[in-house]
Amino acid sequence: MMIPNRKEYLKALANSGQKIMGVLPALYPRELLWAFDIHAAEIWDPPGEILHANAHLQTTICPIVKRSLEFILKEPDIINAGYLFPHTCDSLQNLGTQVKDLIGVSLPVYTFYNPKGSFNNTTTRYYRDILQNFQLSMEAVYGPLAPDKFLAACVLSHKIDSHLMAIQQARMTDHLSLNNAEYFKLMRAQEYLLPTDYLSLLEQVDILDQPGESPRARMMVSGILPPTPEILEFLDELGVSIVADDLLAGSRRIPKFPMDAPVSPLDYLTDRFFILPPCSTRGGDLDERLHHLSKHMNASQAQGILFDIVKFCEPELFDHRLLVKTLRGKNYPVLTLETELENHISGQDKTRIEAFTELLFEMVSP
Amino acid sequence: MADLYFAGVDVGSLSTDVSIIDHSGKLLSETVIPTGVNGSEAAEVAFDSAIKLADLSREVITAITATGYGRASVAFATGKTTEISCHGVGAHQLFPKTGTVIDIGGQDSKVIQIDSHGRMLDFTMNDKCAAGTGRFLEVMANRLELDLDELSSPLNIEGESAPISSTCTVFAESEVISLLAKHTPREHIVHGLQRSIVNRIWSMVASIGIEGEVTLTGGVAHNRGLVVLLEEKLGLTLNIPENPQTVGALGGAHIARRAYQSSLELGPN
Repeated sequence: MMIPNRKEYLKALANSGQKIMGVLPALYPRELLWAFDIHAAEIWDPPGEILHANAHLQTTICPIVKRSLEFILKEPDIINAGYLFPHTCDSLQNLGTQVKDLIGVSLPVYTFYNPKGSFNNTTTRYYRDILQNFQLSMEAVYGPLAPDKFLAACVLSHKIDSHLMAIQQARMTDHLSLNNAEYFKLMRAQEYLLPTDYLSLLEQVDILDQPGESPRARMMVSGILPPTPEILEFLDELGVSIVADDLLAGSRRIPKFPMDAPVSPLDYLTDRFFILPPCSTRGGDLDERLHHLSKHMNASQAQGILFDIVKFCEPELFDHRLLVKTLRGKNYPVLTLETELENHISGQDKTRIEAFTELLFEMVSP
Repeated sequence: MADLYFAGVDVGSLSTDVSIIDHSGKLLSETVIPTGVNGSEAAEVAFDSAIKLADLSREVITAITATGYGRASVAFATGKTTEISCHGVGAHQLFPKTGTVIDIGGQDSKVIQIDSHGRMLDFTMNDKCAAGTGRFLEVMANRLELDLDELSSPLNIEGESAPISSTCTVFAESEVISLLAKHTPREHIVHGLQRSIVNRIWSMVASIGIEGEVTLTGGVAHNRGLVVLLEEKLGLTLNIPENPQTVGALGGAHIARRAYQSSLELGPN
């Protein structure tokens, strides 16, 4: 399974004349963009040194925001249709304002203010409103939305979700012959591949008829982004498989259960938003999140959970303490790592991870 | 299992320690040498020295566990385990009622909870700063022009100790410089430094909790002043091993012994 390189793929797309919008994390109506023939290239953790962004941001801002701003300030030639800032957290929301009003990038800047809170009449009405407003702002630039294209985009999204749900289930039950690094590379390819290309990639994933070899230990991971490739490879070396995730860049973007095929795009997108797994960035009930974590720990037979927390990530840190306390109370081993999205593992983190796996190995040893 | 010997080699940031035990778990020899710049060389030297002390030869050592931050560099080891597991097992061997281990090493400090067999249940480790570690004391001893022994005395000072940051070694050093400039008595500064480490350790203990007896390991356990303050803060008496630096190596030797026993129980492939 060959997954194209992110930068090269997007460059080639831009060179071919494709409209590309840079989208900040995490939840946004990608189907609406697709219906306008705009490709969403998500900006989570662009690599490179943070230099210019530090002039605009406080030191206590998370590295996702800093890296994103650094990327935007360089005005990369692959983004040509503007930037979209969903209201994932206050830092990202403020970054949208800063980029638009203070820094003055040359491309248009859009915002999308997700509702905070669970499913109810007010939040659903609000969500429909912001979807329609976003549609209007796109129509002002790109002309009227074609209803058939909007529906087709939702159908494509539905197909992608169905594949991702099956792959996620296969991962939990050892029916997938991908190591940690390969699995998360596949998950993250949706951030930049055209939906049709991503669907083709998912269709190539081999789901085994029988479970493959069991890993030495099974782990769940929670946080915003998957652990860095270096950590994933290290876990592979140790024989630990991440069998389930609670990641914003992972399963928190996949509906909790299968949906009917879309008929009305607005209804479909609204329903989809509210059946996503609980997430710190959407507010909501912490008990629901705990229940979700426990359910996935049990379903995947994970022996422990790794919280990989992006430094200064307020939404995650807000929930983290109570989650850890409760999970420890239920005798789930918990390890927390703090990441600044560096591309190496410190000796201390290596020891933490290795000691945690020793603890998990002890649990499974006779 | 007669005439079987096991070793633990702990390559730490400041010292490299080796323990050798026999088949019954009896300690035969221990060595501690500075690690220097070459961990694998230090491991070789310390291992040879421990073997000589035990009056053995390399060939008779059945299994060797490497541990410590330089564990990957011990080419002659038969297995490697983190110092967190090793300190748990080592503390259990010395004080079987241990439920909590506080290890204050050269560059790391850890609080480890263990079960009644010495197996790790949970742990926490200091963040990316040397505050609350042996290195912190070294830096401060240097700045105060004291040796580590002078920094270790229990102090009965009059009045408050000098307030010193417990979160950052670099800030703490700046604070010490300011205190010296203000002619603060050195014993007040030393007391403040000991308290700073104790506060740091206490916050780690608070995050994980205390179970059973508490054993203090690592070179910093030699610091009597710090031990007194830590006991006062925790409200209990700590188990202090005779050689707190070698507890990780001792645990490593016992892990090697257990692994060998397990391999016998499982039988040949």
